[in-house]
Amino acid sequence: MLEFDQVSKSYPGGFVALDRVSFKLEKGEMAFLTGHSGAGKSTLLKLISLIERPSVGRVLINDVDLSRIRRNHIPYVRRDVGIIFQNHRLLMNHTVFDNVALPLVIEGFSGKDMVKRVHAALDKVGLLDKVRCLPHTLSGGEQQRVGIARAVVNKPPLLLADEPTGNLDPDLSKDIMRVFEAFNQVGVSVLVATHDLGLVARMKYRTLTLKQGKMINDGLLQYQEDPL
Amino acid sequence: MSILFSGRVSSGASAHKISPARRFVMFWVNHVRQALFSLGELWRTPSASILTIGVLGVSLTLPATLHLLVKNVQQVSDSFTQAAEISLFIKADSSATQISSLQKILQADNAIARVTHISKQQALEEFGQVSGFGAALNYLTDNPLPDVLLVLPKNTAAESARQLLERLSKERIVEFGKLDIDWLTRLDAIVSLLRQAVLVIALLLLGAVLLIIGNTIRLSIMSKKDEIEVMKLVGATDAFIQRPFLYSGIWYGVFGGLLAFLIVEAMLWWLQGAIVSVTSLYGSEFRLMALSVPEFFSLMLLAVLLGLSGSYLSVRRHISAIEPTGP
Repeated sequence: MLEFDQVSKSYPGGFVALDRVSFKLEKGEMAFLTGHSGAGKSTLLKLISLIERPSVGRVLINDVDLSRIRRNHIPYVRRDVGIIFQNHRLLMNHTVFDNVALPLVIEGFSGKDMVKRVHAALDKVGLLDKVRCLPHTLSGGEQQRVGIARAVVNKPPLLLADEPTGNLDPDLSKDIMRVFEAFNQVGVSVLVATHDLGLVARMKYRTLTLKQGKMINDGLLQYQEDPL
Repeated sequence: MSILFSGRVSSGASAHKISPARRFVMFWVNHVRQALFSLGELWRTPSASILTIGVLGVSLTLPATLHLLVKNVQQVSDSFTQAAEISLFIKADSSATQISSLQKILQADNAIARVTHISKQQALEEFGQVSGFGAALNYLTDNPLPDVLLVLPKNTAAESARQLLERLSKERIVEFGKLDIDWLTRLDAIVSLLRQAVLVIALLLLGAVLLIIGNTIRLSIMSKKDEIEVMKLVGATDAFIQRPFLYSGIWYGVFGGLLAFLIVEAMLWWLQGAIVSVTSLYGSEFRLMALSVPEFFSLMLLAVLLGLSGSYLSVRRHISAIEPTGP
């Protein structure tokens, strides 16, 4: 589903954000991406969502080399990858419904079909009763779940999340992770970047650990204490 | 359309088999919907919109007013076609038959619209009435005035009138011909100068309109930077993001054009009274001409095109420049 092949990313000025990173995420697999701030987690996600291009190496989604994607095709790639942002990036002056419907509107859905899908997505994250609310009337956890609903509303085969629990308390974090698990169980590949190691260890999923741009661990995180 | 997953049914419109007719209808329905949405956006920021529309209206009013000015001056100068009338003074020893045969020849001439004969006697009577020397003229033993043929050329342009004059002056019984050509050429020159000045000023003002709309759209793009980034992150194409801004440009054009029309009409209404009192003093039949229906539609079309192109220039540069910086 997702493959990194000897990927390096350095920025002007010589800062190396990723250093020869290789890994493979299978179809229907769920994994965590951990590491300190600045370890390269965000850069890795940016390469998948084509916000940045790798300096060296190849990133492949479904065996399609992303370096072959021209600029005007980037939007179509992003429609296949659901992204959840740490600061959820909702449109604050639009209702929850409008926010979740945005990817569908972009793809040309309209009418009953769109309403049905939006309601289904909000139902999965348990926010069906907040359809007509504006985002700022919701709590942090609810806003994050609206972001998740928006990311999954057009049923992307690959789901990326960048610190989805960054601002949430442990109970809410667990709820959010359950939502990801539920999507994973219906066959969606999920990659969650987080530095909440306690949560990661409890969840018993494959964990990719980055340190200063290098992949230092790929597998189950067995221990509760900080491996870094 | 999915590039990465060939089997993935994602696109709403292409996912279902929709008949071309229905797709055509949906295309227009979507555009109308987006146009109304953009109108709503203008409505939500009334003060900024009103300012922009006001500036556009005033900028478009000036070229429209100048156009009307030229149009009316032209109307006035057209009413002076009589000025191109050629007076042929007939030699004193010519007989009445010679004069009437010349008049017939000239009437048959293709270049001449009308020939009027003013006899010596008529001329003397008219002179007596107009000059107020009526009584004094009675003391004259004979009539000193010549017969005159007034010739109105078909083509009243200065140059062709001059050529006709030269030709007619060569007639045997014609003493000399007279045409107030200098005055005509001057009027022509002034009208054409005015027209060119109007063209230059109009072009400058239309350029200003283009820049104003471009800048307004740029500001509104900047104020929606976050929103545009989010839209790009969830897979919106530049064309999709551009559309509402292009519609805003069109709406600015529509309202700016309407405002310009209203200002021009109000100004005409205001001036009408003053102009009537001036022209009645001169006993002239002058009527102020307003914008005709085709002119109104050209004004609106021009305004809309300016709005659209102004926003297009801005949108093309600024929307592709906004790139999401991170998830």
